[in-house]
Amino acid sequence: MVFLLVNDVTYSYQGKGSVINRVSWGIEEGEFHCLLGKSGCGKTTLLKLAAGLLQVDTGSIFLNGKEVVKPSPEAGFVFQSPTLLEWKTVMDNVLLPVSLRRKVTTKDRENAMKLLETVGLAEYIQRYPAQLSGGQQSRVAIARALIQQPSMMFLDEPFAALDAITREELQDDLLKICKQQNTTVLFITHDISEAVYLSDRIAVMDQGSIIYQTAVQLSKPRTVEVRYSPYFNDLCLDVRQVMGAERS
Amino acid sequence: MKRFPLYSVLLFLILLFVWEISARSMSELVLPGPFVIFRTLLDGIKSGYFTPHIIRTTLEVILGLFFGGLFGFMTGIIMGEIVFLRKLLFPYIIASQAVPKLALAPLFILWFGFGMTSKVVITALICFFPLLENTVTAIKYTDKQKQELFRMLGASRWKILIQLKIPAGMPGIIAGLRVAVVLAIVGAVIGEFVGGSDGLGAVIIASQGMMDTPLMFATLILLTAMGMILYRVVQLLEKKWLIRFMKEKEK
Ligand SMILES: Nc1ncnc2c1ncn2[C@@H]1O[C@H](COP(=O)(O)OP(=O)(O)OP(=O)(O)O)[C@@H](O)[C@H]1O
Ligand SMILES: [Mg+2]
Repeated sequence: MVFLLVNDVTYSYQGKGSVINRVSWGIEEGEFHCLLGKSGCGKTTLLKLAAGLLQVDTGSIFLNGKEVVKPSPEAGFVFQSPTLLEWKTVMDNVLLPVSLRRKVTTKDRENAMKLLETVGLAEYIQRYPAQLSGGQQSRVAIARALIQQPSMMFLDEPFAALDAITREELQDDLLKICKQQNTTVLFITHDISEAVYLSDRIAVMDQGSIIYQTAVQLSKPRTVEVRYSPYFNDLCLDVRQVMGAERS
Repeated sequence: MKRFPLYSVLLFLILLFVWEISARSMSELVLPGPFVIFRTLLDGIKSGYFTPHIIRTTLEVILGLFFGGLFGFMTGIIMGEIVFLRKLLFPYIIASQAVPKLALAPLFILWFGFGMTSKVVITALICFFPLLENTVTAIKYTDKQKQELFRMLGASRWKILIQLKIPAGMPGIIAGLRVAVVLAIVGAVIGEFVGGSDGLGAVIIASQGMMDTPLMFATLILLTAMGMILYRVVQLLEKKWLIRFMKEKEK
């Protein structure tokens, strides 16, 4: 079943040329898709449209069979910057999605604690965001998006501020959590190997259109060896060429 | 509080000394020396002469600050949230900013009498604007991405206001309060200048009539101390509430 369906969507910010240009896209339930593209090509805009934060000009978007007109409680969103609340502790930031809906229970705290352990922040729960490094803040934001166990996750370059090793660890954690909860994921990145490693399918955007897409046939679950396999590298090169070709 | 560095104390002593020297060559009526003033101050406090006036002025300042500040804060929230009202009311707010509000003191005395009410009203009016302005700005310019986050989480407009816009705007709002505190004392004193016989402002006017310059200086010192204490209280509040914001700013 197609879980997220983007159907011939166009969008422009007020008074400007179209930023998204007749894009169609579909993600099957439980799949992990990556969207690649150069800065300013419209990735974030497309993601916000899909999440219901922006309204399409023409075309339509369906999430789990329902047309998206406003943000759905089924979806989690990780913004390009961590966007934490400075006046709340790490723990309370992670619990924010819950506390906005109902009273926080001990069970919720346990869940949050588990997630924070997964992202390696168990010792930081009583700190405030200003006392964390940029990478730690990103990890809090990811934990916050996962707390409600969303069936659809939108992630906008969540790992951009992390070092290579932490990034690899978190990639594996993210894959694991999404597999466990059968989460459908739309993931934005500008890192080609990250996209290839994570996804079932890759799309490359340029100037508001999808110019290339391909399925990734790598064994699952992914292992470190995958990163150094010839297929992996060939695919990276292919994608690189598609993206590079647009430069000339 | 940090201890005053030595040179700061030294400068203060030198200033006092210069003052005392120059005061000796002048009539007490023009410039009383620090010792005379200090004696007047002590006598006044001991005999209880100042007490009712201090209480009166403090009460006016606090009541004015409370009502003016609260009203400014609430109006600020409403105007920050509802674009229509903001557009409708802002020209009037700007126009009323241009009115020299202290010049309205005689009018308020006329309307509300010589009692405390008129002074509280003047003080409240003066405290109203800094809080209004800062609150409107804080509510209006809440980080857009944080707002998107709350929308993503399905938060209602009310929740966005209470849980996001107000706490996020706290640094700006408290900065407004700090301005209001200083202005509040000015407001109360001006009110007392114009009418009535209670409060430190009235004492200054009375001392002018009696040509008692040391008393005038002593009252000024009391007012200064009051201002510093209130300012300090707000600063402490700020430290307590906003420690997280400050840390980020200092970085
Ligand atoms: N709020 C806005 N108003 C007007 N134009 C905007 C707005 N947000 C983005 N744009 C424009 O839309 C285009 C696409 O922006 P978008 O944020 O989707 O890019 P992106 O692909 O996410 O880039 P990056 O990788 O740098 O995050 C850009 O040219 C940008 O200038
Ligand atoms: Mg972006």
